[in-house]
Amino acid sequence: MDLQHIHPEPTSFVRKHIFSTDHKVIAKQFLWAGLLFLAFGGALAMLIRWQWAFPGEPVPVVGPMLFQNSGGAITPSSYNAIFTMHGLIMIFFAITPIMIGAFGNFCIPLMIGARDMAFPTLNMLSFWTFVVSQLLVIVSFFVQLGSAAAGWTTYAPLSTQVGTPGLGQTLVVAAVFVTGVATIMGGINYVTTVVRLRAPGMTYMRMPATVWGLWLTAILNVLFVPVLGSAALLLILDRQFGTQFYIAGSSAVRGGGDPILFQHLFWIFGHPEVYILILPPWGFVTDLVSFFARKPAYWYKGSVMAMTAVSVLSAVVYGHHMFVTGMNPMLGQSFMTLTLIISVPAELLFLNWLHTIWKGSIRLTVPMLFALGTIFVFGLGGLTGLFLGTISTDLYLHDTMFVVGHFHLTMAAAAFLGSFAAIYFWFPKMFGRNMNQSLGKWHFWFSAIFITLVFCGQLVAGYAGHQRRLFDPYQYTFLQHLQPLNRWTSYFGFILAASQVTFVVNFFQSVFAGTKAEQNPWEIGTLEWTLPSPPVHHNFDVIPQVHRGPHEFSNPEVKKTLGRDWIGQDEELPKTGKAPAAPAAAAS
Amino acid sequence: MNSAARLIKQLAAFLAATLAAVTPGLASATPKPEAGIGLPRDVSEYGHHIDWLIEVTMVFVVILFIIMVIWMVWACFAHDEKHTAEYDHGDSKHSVKTALALSAVIFFVVDGNLFYNSTTDTFRLFWNHDALESDPKAVRIEVNAHQWAWDARYTGPDGKFNTKDDVITLNDIRVPVGVPVMLQLVSPDVIHSFYLPNLRIKQDAMPGMTNRLWFQAKETGEFDIGCAQHCGVHHYKMKGMLTVLSPDEFKNWVTEQSAIASRGYDPKDNEAHWGWEWKSRN
Repeated sequence: MDLQHIHPEPTSFVRKHIFSTDHKVIAKQFLWAGLLFLAFGGALAMLIRWQWAFPGEPVPVVGPMLFQNSGGAITPSSYNAIFTMHGLIMIFFAITPIMIGAFGNFCIPLMIGARDMAFPTLNMLSFWTFVVSQLLVIVSFFVQLGSAAAGWTTYAPLSTQVGTPGLGQTLVVAAVFVTGVATIMGGINYVTTVVRLRAPGMTYMRMPATVWGLWLTAILNVLFVPVLGSAALLLILDRQFGTQFYIAGSSAVRGGGDPILFQHLFWIFGHPEVYILILPPWGFVTDLVSFFARKPAYWYKGSVMAMTAVSVLSAVVYGHHMFVTGMNPMLGQSFMTLTLIISVPAELLFLNWLHTIWKGSIRLTVPMLFALGTIFVFGLGGLTGLFLGTISTDLYLHDTMFVVGHFHLTMAAAAFLGSFAAIYFWFPKMFGRNMNQSLGKWHFWFSAIFITLVFCGQLVAGYAGHQRRLFDPYQYTFLQHLQPLNRWTSYFGFILAASQVTFVVNFFQSVFAGTKAEQNPWEIGTLEWTLPSPPVHHNFDVIPQVHRGPHEFSNPEVKKTLGRDWIGQDEELPKTGKAPAAPAAAAS
Repeated sequence: MNSAARLIKQLAAFLAATLAAVTPGLASATPKPEAGIGLPRDVSEYGHHIDWLIEVTMVFVVILFIIMVIWMVWACFAHDEKHTAEYDHGDSKHSVKTALALSAVIFFVVDGNLFYNSTTDTFRLFWNHDALESDPKAVRIEVNAHQWAWDARYTGPDGKFNTKDDVITLNDIRVPVGVPVMLQLVSPDVIHSFYLPNLRIKQDAMPGMTNRLWFQAKETGEFDIGCAQHCGVHHYKMKGMLTVLSPDEFKNWVTEQSAIASRGYDPKDNEAHWGWEWKSRN
């Protein structure tokens, strides 16, 4: 491959660790930035849960510091900022950098046999642009009137000066725009890298499902984040420069604009975004269940086709978010039909996962547990989506906690558990050290059980009619009996948050003092495990030649000739029955 | 003038409240609280269509989920590391056909049921506004949703909106039982969503649009009106009360209120003239 020169590793600290163009370093930077904001977004979630459990009561410990004017209790306006920023931070500044920024960067070049991304400098710019957007978010909390408060969906006209004056909302919309720029830069890079830099023999159908998931995500990002950018830009113009793209009603002068325009733009992006956040976990899960069941991924091609079909469909179903806006019934009907069709590829994926583990030889390692947990929560999340994609049932359930529970199970729980599956799985390769497996198992059981309980609690509340985003739900007579339920849900949430300490301790301990990782601790055949842990600066001394797919497990012929149940993607199967001396040697 | 108008309005509201308090049978204190876990009490003539579809789908969903969990747990115990893994790529014609057939069966049963029932229910009932326009019994109400209250407007005896005899209420919507009630919704500021949990219906009030919603109550009583769309600081307080009355009580109430309204009509109070000519078709 003439395209890929070997560049010497930079020697200065700044070029090596800060303004690095090495995809493996940028991956770690995204990981740290994402985990930091994950903790931030999680803390905001705890404040919301406190409010629903004990409305109007002072928040213990942090309350007096954060809410000085109300004796430590959350006020309605700070509550609005808290739930708005919880959503935006989790989606754009925590899950996206961890899954796409960190694992997109780390996995794609290593798994397809490339020395780096196609555009290393663009990659660096993408990260530092992302940092600017995070800074804008942080600053927004310290300006007058506080941070954004119009909900993560930022519906106009509430998000214009009509509903949310103050600089905070503008800064956050600007942050979303800037993070969109970073995402597009990353997306172009990922798409190009997969198209151009696959090692010889690495056909699309031999790519690991992880790369498929990340690649489809990158394509969706490149196509649809610009739509979000346009929506954000018009909103900034409305807010700061007196235009009226989204303003109607009595605040509109000279005709005004149309608030529904914002919703169309937002959801044209917003629905693909749901899949942007779930396609990488689908990829991780498809690979991990095969890796740890020691069995080929069942109908791998079918899973790839299903993921591709979902990506295509994701662009044409967004209208199901707008059934009660006064949409034309025929249009609503079309969106419902398309939405229901998504369940076909989704069912295929589930069947393939279940068939993969069936008659396997399952090793319940920490990444495998997290992968199975992802299937579990995504099963719940996907199935509850049926009620919301259907018009008549959505008339009742729309904008209730049922929606909140549903999308948290898909976008939050599945993305959360899927991200941790990836972290525990690639940690040895990333940092060259092992994580503590028993702490990891504690982390898994607490996370999986309590995240399910929290979001199922929300489903039950929504089933009873509980609207979302209420500062004090118990103002309504028909919700008063739900306070014990909400309180229990909050307790589960607090336990979930507290149990993350097991991860934080494990992560820091392992990064700095973990035992040295072997080259291929999980005994699997994808290309990154042919490299030392951590890999050298340019990854591959010689670009490998790929001979087979990523899931070649328990092949009787391999067992006979090599005496093990796996074979590397780049390994040639010897014709004789002798086992080679060095398993997993890089093809050189 | 403005403050005088406000004073008169406040006085009128006070009088209305006093009247409501002393008139027996009208507007007893609050809605009946719900109990237990599940859908709230259904008092709508057609809400059972939605409830049935939710419940039947819930049964399907629970069955599918249980099968999935049993499959996963069984596999983890029966096919653990002591078990020898089968070498199967699952791409034989037989495997592919089985997977596709299973997906198709689930799709046609679960999604097909949702599709069929939702389609017939929305077109025949929930979104079938046009058929009601010719129903002489149907009650028409205009609702102006704004930060953070629901203003409602009824025609007086003249049957026309935005005239002298209109009945105007604040967070207080009264309807007769057993009769279709048609609402037209607007918002002057931000998006609100008119939500009647006990009647299984919801519709956004969108600045710049006139949206429609209808329902038919089958029981008398008091029920919560909620806002389902985040509309600002006091979103959670944007609460109204729906009072379902017997047809006679309703008729008396409208007649009485209309007479009061006509007497207190102030042609210069522009804020009170937010009504519009009923839009038969959108």
